[in-house]
Amino acid sequence: MSTPTLRRILYVEDDADIREIVSMSLEMLGKFQVAACDSCADALSLVDEFSPDLLLLDVMMPDVDGPATLLALRERAGAESVPAIFITAKVEAGDMARYRKMGVLDVIVKPFDAMLLSSQVELIWLGSRSNSNDNSG
Amino acid sequence: MTTADDEFAREYARLSAAFVAQLPQQVQILNDDLIAWLSASRETTLFDRLSHKLHQLRGSGSTFGCNGVSEAARVLEQRLAALRADAAAEPVSELDEVEAAMLELRGEANRIYRKSLQGGQPGTHT
Repeated sequence: MSTPTLRRILYVEDDADIREIVSMSLEMLGKFQVAACDSCADALSLVDEFSPDLLLLDVMMPDVDGPATLLALRERAGAESVPAIFITAKVEAGDMARYRKMGVLDVIVKPFDAMLLSSQVELIWLGSRSNSNDNSG
Repeated sequence: MTTADDEFAREYARLSAAFVAQLPQQVQILNDDLIAWLSASRETTLFDRLSHKLHQLRGSGSTFGCNGVSEAARVLEQRLAALRADAAAEPVSELDEVEAAMLELRGEANRIYRKSLQGGQPGTHT
């Protein structure tokens, strides 16, 4: 079974500085197509048309946080099983297990190396696809 | 390095310089928010806003190589949470610790800003 290519990433982050650097890294270095927005509401308005291969979500956002945004996106037809990666400055005991239960592939912890971020995202993606192929075979 | 790497490095340097240029003002706003929270009966919305801004600064500071600012923001975020948890007891020592942490954050922001004016390279603000 071939591994699907990662092309389109929907990225949600409320911090404008981080959003810009991450988008640049993914687009310029990873050559991904990125739709970036700053809230759950904006993500919901983008997700149908953009049809992402991957969701990249900041955990701590005001109003609706990353986990709640993921749940809201997953209720959309066509986005029920889109893989997700979280980004956060703080991972507390038990968070990782909770995120895994939600189907999150992995967590990227801030600070991250902006030069390496796109490779990191792709590695997580490839690892998860490889695991799902192993499990299905 | 590839052309894409070079182009990204240039853009990263530009964003990093812009981040440092607005750092003293950003921290001044945090300081004003802290004073507002302390003088507004520890109001929840103000606390949540201040706490969130500190969390953002912790993440963005380290992403742009300003590790001292990131660490100072982390300490202030923690001390603020402790002060809020013990608000009923009005602990003077915890209030002192919050004020000291804010002073440290302002000092770090100003130090990095001054360093940038003297030609400090983005990504090396440790």
